[in-house]
Amino acid sequence: MRNRLIVTLSILIMLTSNLGAQDLVLKGGTILTITQGTIEKGMIVIQNGKITAVGADIKIPSGVKVVDVTGKYVMPGIIDSHSHIALTDINEATDPVTPQIWMWEALEPGSDSIKKTLAGGVTTVKTMHGSANVIGGVNVSIKLKYDRSIEELIIPGVRQQLKMALGENPKRLYGSKGRSPSTRMGNAFVARKAFIEAQEYKAKWDKYEKDKAAGKKDLTPPKKDLKMETLKMTLEKKLSIDCHAYRADEIVWIIHFCEEFGLDLLQLSHCIDGYKVADVMAEAGVFYGGWVDWWGFKEEAYDGCPYGLQILYDAGVKIVLNSDSPVEGRYLFRSAAKVLKYTEIPENEALKMITLNAAESMELGDRIGSLEVGKDGDVAVFDKHPLDTTTKCLLTVIEGEVFFDYAQESITVKGGDR
Amino acid sequence: MKKFTLAVLSCLLIVAFVFSAADPSETILIKNGTIVSGVGNPIPKADLLIENGKISKIGTDLSVPAGAKVIDASGKYVFPGLVAMMTAVGVTGYPGAGNDMDETGISTPHMDPYDAINPEDECIDVTRIEGVTTVQTVSGSRSVINGKSVVLHLAGNLVVEMVAKRYVAQIINIGAKEQNKYPSTQPGIMAYLRAKFDAAREYAKKQTQKAEKGNDQNKTKEDFVKRDLELEALIPVVTGKVPVIFITTNEVTIRNALDLIQEYDLKSIIRAQSGILKYADRIAQEKIPVIWAGTTGIPQRWEPHDLNYHTAAVLAEKGILFAFDPGGWGPGNRNVRNLTEPAAISVAHGLAKEEALKAITINPAKILGIADEVGSLEVGKTANVVIWTGCPLQGRSRVEAVFIKGESIPLTSFQTRLYDKYKKIVSDRINKK
Repeated sequence: MRNRLIVTLSILIMLTSNLGAQDLVLKGGTILTITQGTIEKGMIVIQNGKITAVGADIKIPSGVKVVDVTGKYVMPGIIDSHSHIALTDINEATDPVTPQIWMWEALEPGSDSIKKTLAGGVTTVKTMHGSANVIGGVNVSIKLKYDRSIEELIIPGVRQQLKMALGENPKRLYGSKGRSPSTRMGNAFVARKAFIEAQEYKAKWDKYEKDKAAGKKDLTPPKKDLKMETLKMTLEKKLSIDCHAYRADEIVWIIHFCEEFGLDLLQLSHCIDGYKVADVMAEAGVFYGGWVDWWGFKEEAYDGCPYGLQILYDAGVKIVLNSDSPVEGRYLFRSAAKVLKYTEIPENEALKMITLNAAESMELGDRIGSLEVGKDGDVAVFDKHPLDTTTKCLLTVIEGEVFFDYAQESITVKGGDR
Repeated sequence: MKKFTLAVLSCLLIVAFVFSAADPSETILIKNGTIVSGVGNPIPKADLLIENGKISKIGTDLSVPAGAKVIDASGKYVFPGLVAMMTAVGVTGYPGAGNDMDETGISTPHMDPYDAINPEDECIDVTRIEGVTTVQTVSGSRSVINGKSVVLHLAGNLVVEMVAKRYVAQIINIGAKEQNKYPSTQPGIMAYLRAKFDAAREYAKKQTQKAEKGNDQNKTKEDFVKRDLELEALIPVVTGKVPVIFITTNEVTIRNALDLIQEYDLKSIIRAQSGILKYADRIAQEKIPVIWAGTTGIPQRWEPHDLNYHTAAVLAEKGILFAFDPGGWGPGNRNVRNLTEPAAISVAHGLAKEEALKAITINPAKILGIADEVGSLEVGKTANVVIWTGCPLQGRSRVEAVFIKGESIPLTSFQTRLYDKYKKIVSDRINKK
């Protein structure tokens, strides 16, 4: 009896888990693959949530739902590698060092921000701790599967990133409370002190584990410290780092700091001055995360310069366009279009900034960010070329499942004035 | 040798000076562009003549006047300069102490941004080289009664050269609740505003009586009115001579603004960022112009995702005179150059392209009362002309030339200079390695 129940249950679980990964064919659209050129009147086949075929002459597998997107544009689902959506809380602004914070514990799959962001063709975001603390919390990379369980949202097996923040925000926040850090020197000290402590913590634990493995008796394990646990993981490169840094001096500083401590610095966020030290960033292999034309909204953002993207591009820095806001997260494709206004960077490279580059900055380049066989079936369909600023997203598909359909959810289609 | 260097240097300086001070009386002929004047259909292969800072001719095959500078606009598009409302261009300056917005006080109607305009503000260059040639600069937004606003052409080295019109509107934020002091609620703000308007009316009456009595020997003590600069600034408002821009935040504040407008018979403009469609019929009926600032805003949980994107289309459909707000106002955002963004988004969601272009050119000019001067390309108007590579609504379109009051504007800003500087620094460092 009990055995039968278990069998039934596991079949049920298998069924429900299969419900998520659907099969879908998009037919007739102009496919912007990002990595393999543009396919006119193409077809894309998604089976079990993965892309199984992309091309012009493909036989439609039987029994698969087919959506005709003739005349429309099909691109990989847009990826935002610096977002704060879908979170109930953003900043644990009570201490400049809070690596014990894991953002997935604030994740709200039913958040309306997910729904509204899906309407912009976005399928994946890295949703992050805020910038109050020099060492913030651990960010979480998610698929925008609105209202599903967090297990379905959180991308499995990917290395998550620890958020760090330099400059005015931690300075202002703690300085205004009469606490340290209140200067950039203080910011540097706070980071250094934390990682030196983490090195010592790691050494203690390493020794303990080594002794234990050697069969030594009567060992007392070192005292567990949750802050240090996360930093130890960072030292062990089980976590990488995304650091918020506006000014050129801070960009160079954090690159050197991470080299010194052997930390994997993946992305620099809000990288306003990045163009001034593009060569340094290129050499460090760190991604530029930022905006196209934001400037002047605070002192450290004064030198924001849209033309600077050209310098970064020429130096070989991989550029990722971020929203940092639920507003711009809904039209990252418009940000990509602006790249064409201010630079000579080619169209496909501009599209990479919101797809493949963003995927790579989150170490997901082998799974998402382009339309290739074997990658996740994450797709956005637009009525015009996505770099035409009078376009709109019609369809957002995650792993073969339609999560946004303009025809169903638009007041423009329905008409009316309410 | 030293003398020689000095002589060369001063020559260079003079040359530089002559070149930097462009001649506004220059005659310029823009040839063979597609002229999208804002009036009627675009005219392909057409010419536009600028003389004495004004548009003097528009047509095909115009002859080149003697001494005219000819600009070939083949394959390009000639548009009127864009007009941005509710900006802080000229008063934001460098973040922190450089910012001259928002004087202290709940009621500061006498604050005039004219007194703080800095022609060196970097935002001026950054804005105009992207095609915005005229802006309304406001005194602030955070108080209930904020102050005056001024219209500037973004050319000139002195404020007097820039000003197109002073005191174009009073800025009232009907949702600016105070914290821990009166007025801290919406009804409190209504009572506060009524009291101010009543006081201004009373003051205006006394001033009139005083003027009427002139040097009458029988003047009583009461006839001497103590000058009150705050109330004085509100007289044009309560007498309907200067419009109020009511900054609203939601449907409640819109409704309250409409009530006040009716009650005090104010000449008014509603600046809305949400909730406007619920009152669109009433606004259309009462012919109140709208500044629509909510395009990029996010609708409420229960509202469709494109409600804000689609709102401009509904405003146009109802015949409401509206302009887009660049969303670039206040010290937080200097991107007035993105005025085209809400227009483009609205086109994606149902607004006709022509209407979208109007809402960033002639409509704001009409709302600001300067439509006889700017907002379209017509003979006799001020020559605020921009040559584009494509439609301004396309994010990728670039500005090829800008003329403000007939003056050719260099397409440089501190951002282009930063680019030049760091392009060299970075490539020098790379080459050294």
